[in-house]
Amino acid sequence: MTGINLLSNKMKNNIIIPILVLLSIIIGGYTAIKKINSSTQNNEFSIKNGNWKVNPNMDLKDSYQRAYISRIGVFALDEKEALYFLSSKDNDGNPLRSDFDYQIIGTPPKGRYWSYTLYGEDYFLVKNDANIYTINKENLTKDKPIMVSSTKKDINWLPSGNETKFHITLRVYNPDESVYKNLESLELPTIKKIEK
Amino acid sequence: MKKIFFYLGTILIMSICSYNLTIHYIPNIVYAVFHYKIEKNQNIKDNEIKHFDIPSDQSRNVVMPNPDFLYSTIFYDLSEKDLNINANMPDSTYWSVSFYKPNTINWFVKNDQEFDTNKLDLTLTLKNSKSENVIKSPVKKGFMIIRILVEKKDKKSIESYRTLQKNITIN
Repeated sequence: MTGINLLSNKMKNNIIIPILVLLSIIIGGYTAIKKINSSTQNNEFSIKNGNWKVNPNMDLKDSYQRAYISRIGVFALDEKEALYFLSSKDNDGNPLRSDFDYQIIGTPPKGRYWSYTLYGEDYFLVKNDANIYTINKENLTKDKPIMVSSTKKDINWLPSGNETKFHITLRVYNPDESVYKNLESLELPTIKKIEK
Repeated sequence: MKKIFFYLGTILIMSICSYNLTIHYIPNIVYAVFHYKIEKNQNIKDNEIKHFDIPSDQSRNVVMPNPDFLYSTIFYDLSEKDLNINANMPDSTYWSVSFYKPNTINWFVKNDQEFDTNKLDLTLTLKNSKSENVIKSPVKKGFMIIRILVEKKDKKSIESYRTLQKNITIN
């Protein structure tokens, strides 16, 4: 009888232990991925300036921050080389959507090269018939605002395709020293919703 | 009853371990998936260079690609030999050479203005060296990106930078 009990306990352990291990891996892994995804959505770890968020520290010693960056901007350059300003909201704090048009008004921070790029909710480039994905220093028509719209515009058009929600990234390569010193108070371009 | 508490405690402790391990290794997982995708889809092995065209909405390898850049990439492995990188880079636009660890940390970047010449002649090694052209990698295996900025998207500019890009060699 004792022999049978021992055997049955051993069998129970053989079943229960792997289930416990598997369950723990799933719970821990799922919670971790959920945490990083929500950090990505909320742009945690970033400095906020108006509707823009920038991560000035790419020398990532913190595991959370490293995981966050690998999720949102894997193979980004370190902060001395480039700064990445991200916005997924307009001036009023509403999410950017292709149902609306927007104007980007203002001057980007000083640097050797800058560009505005529009990404979908999945952080990939947005499909559009004109194959325009970016407005940069070279292709900008000066003194005219940048128009973010799903319908064609003649000047400074940044297509938003059919994205329900989207993000705009302002990249500044080799920024001026002064830019690093005032990341929170720096005057950045505004994203204004306009009637279609 | 005791057993239930034991099981719950075990799940809690192991879940915390699993949580921390996942957070710690997410960058390595992202890197491994990217490595696998490139190897499989582009038929590229370690220490072979791949020259990518300007990214478009079809580019799905890495999130947030910059559509103003031509990218050349290598998954390097220095366990058997050093790598020599040679090229005639553009003299009128931004370009840079950058290296990453398998946890996606950018451990080195140098741009055109920091190089003395647009003739690129670099050696990537695990050994120490005082030479400016020799870069000591902190890891045996990692990733390199050479970026060339193409601000004007006219056919002539793209073609001229593409030609220079294709001349980047690794041996």
